[in-house]
Amino acid sequence: MKKGMIWLIAAVALLLILVRSLPFFVITEYQQAVITQFGRFIRAVKEPGLHFKTPFLQQVSIFEDRLLEYDAEPKEIITKDKKTLLVDNYSKWKIIDPKRFYETVRNEAGALARLDDIVYSELRIELGRHTLSDIVASQRGEIMEKVTQKSNQKAVEYGIEVRDVRIKRADLPAENAKAIFGRMKTEREREAKKYRSEGEEEAAKIRAEADKQKTILLADAYNEAQKVRGEGDALAIKIFAQALEQDPDFYAFYRTLEAYRKSLNDKTTLILSPNSEFLKYLQEVK
Amino acid sequence: MVRGWDDLRPKKDSQGEPPFQLPEIKWPDLKLPGPLILLAIAILLWLATGIYKVGLEERGVVLRFGRHIATTDPGLHWHLPFPIEQVFKPKVTEIKRVEIGFRTVESGGFGQAAQYGDVPEESLMLTGDENIIDIDMIIQYWIVDPVKYLFYVRGVDKTVQNAAEAALREIIGSRGIDEALTEGKVEIEGNIKGLLQKVLNIYDAGVQVGEVKLQDVHPPEEVRASFRDVASAREDKNRLINESQGYSNAILPEARGESAKLLKGAEAYREEKRRRAEGDAGRFTRILTEYNKAKAVTKKRLYLETMEQILGGMEKYIYEDKAATGILPILPLTREKGKETTP
Repeated sequence: MKKGMIWLIAAVALLLILVRSLPFFVITEYQQAVITQFGRFIRAVKEPGLHFKTPFLQQVSIFEDRLLEYDAEPKEIITKDKKTLLVDNYSKWKIIDPKRFYETVRNEAGALARLDDIVYSELRIELGRHTLSDIVASQRGEIMEKVTQKSNQKAVEYGIEVRDVRIKRADLPAENAKAIFGRMKTEREREAKKYRSEGEEEAAKIRAEADKQKTILLADAYNEAQKVRGEGDALAIKIFAQALEQDPDFYAFYRTLEAYRKSLNDKTTLILSPNSEFLKYLQEVK
Repeated sequence: MVRGWDDLRPKKDSQGEPPFQLPEIKWPDLKLPGPLILLAIAILLWLATGIYKVGLEERGVVLRFGRHIATTDPGLHWHLPFPIEQVFKPKVTEIKRVEIGFRTVESGGFGQAAQYGDVPEESLMLTGDENIIDIDMIIQYWIVDPVKYLFYVRGVDKTVQNAAEAALREIIGSRGIDEALTEGKVEIEGNIKGLLQKVLNIYDAGVQVGEVKLQDVHPPEEVRASFRDVASAREDKNRLINESQGYSNAILPEARGESAKLLKGAEAYREEKRRRAEGDAGRFTRILTEYNKAKAVTKKRLYLETMEQILGGMEKYIYEDKAATGILPILPLTREKGKETTP
């Protein structure tokens, strides 16, 4: 049992030495490499395929040849108008010069540390030149482009190309968000109030218009009705006049008698002269 | 493969083919090339590991010593076995999905609703008019270039997620909250899709963005009640207007009825007046006709009959004309009656 283990370990060690001692190595499509000898740079390998080296003496360090991501932690940045923004950005970068990369940052972890410094400082400078509304609304694209360019210029010395710096999130810290919520609330309350009073206004107008229409309708009707009534009165006068024209004297006599009958009743006290027409026979007898 | 056989053949031949004999005698002869047969089998097995299947949804990307040499279509293929060649099989027809603002915790099954978890730090964002909005978004994409997908960008799925989040915020940042909440949605989706595709092309990620869907767009929890109140205020406005229109619809017909009544009343009055006048006139005409026949006597009779009738119940005083003037002022003081005088 123990013997078997020892044999296994020996076999693995042998294999490692064998691989190390192989005079060739493979670079896959998404890789690149530098060959070093006792830590000294010998050459870079950018083409995929089978490559050769001096066994034992030379060492191969393989790097990524793909576009890599650096997703930074969200950071607070002060804008030109003295507002605090919580900015979460990511960068896309690539190792373009393996020699420099190897000599300056050695590996990806080292590169990320540098990138963090470069991108954060460029971002802080650039965002500090713009107001909150520029950053959020109008000029986000330009700002990101500028930060990308500047970061790229600085990253060259590490053999890195920064292809894109993108602001993923630019949000207000919780305290500021609360203020915004407050403002949103009052804005909406105002809007709601506006709608309701608009409704009332509109309704009042419609009611007033209806009342007006009603009044006009009734007045028109009164106008018409009065004319019709007048027509009736006129007709009556005409008819009467036509009839009475036949004998005005008799009408006067007849109508007077009728008027007597109606207007004089038992509540009337009458002082008569014996000379009156009615009493003329009374006197003759006396 | 052929080369492997060639290596093997001559060695086997060198052992010499034994003449045709009975099988029992053949066994010991085979003992000699035993290790070679084992080696041959091992080589065969090794070669067999190069057989691979490309599924319908996949493409085979073949690398020889790490260099891309071929892309194969669905079907059964063979490549030189491991250390020499290797194959990647990305799923090119698979539609991938990125969720922003939420995550599907448990996808829905038969009769079971899917479970979603909210991710507020992704879904809450600033709009162009400095309001905060809550958006959930889904993005679909697929691989169009398997070589780019595999070899140009590391972690494409994460890349799409990040770029999508950035694109969403960039587009929303250029809009007002009302636009995002209401009629602007379709346009916003189109803009996000365009921007995201542009960014992914800069990265050379080899993917195509399909549908971009704003799943759920609403005001943040803290202000949702106020937004709802605006909606109900809008309803209130409509209600008030409708009510007043109802009022208008009620009173105007009423007024029309009223005016019709007035008019009809007036017409009735006119007709009544005319007919009565005609009646009265007719009566007079008839009386006149008879009167004309015996004028004097009729006139007398009418006068007397009238006097008889009216003087019947009346209080009467008869005085000489001169005396009457003397007594007249006293009369109203003694009686509480109507005062009438006739000459």
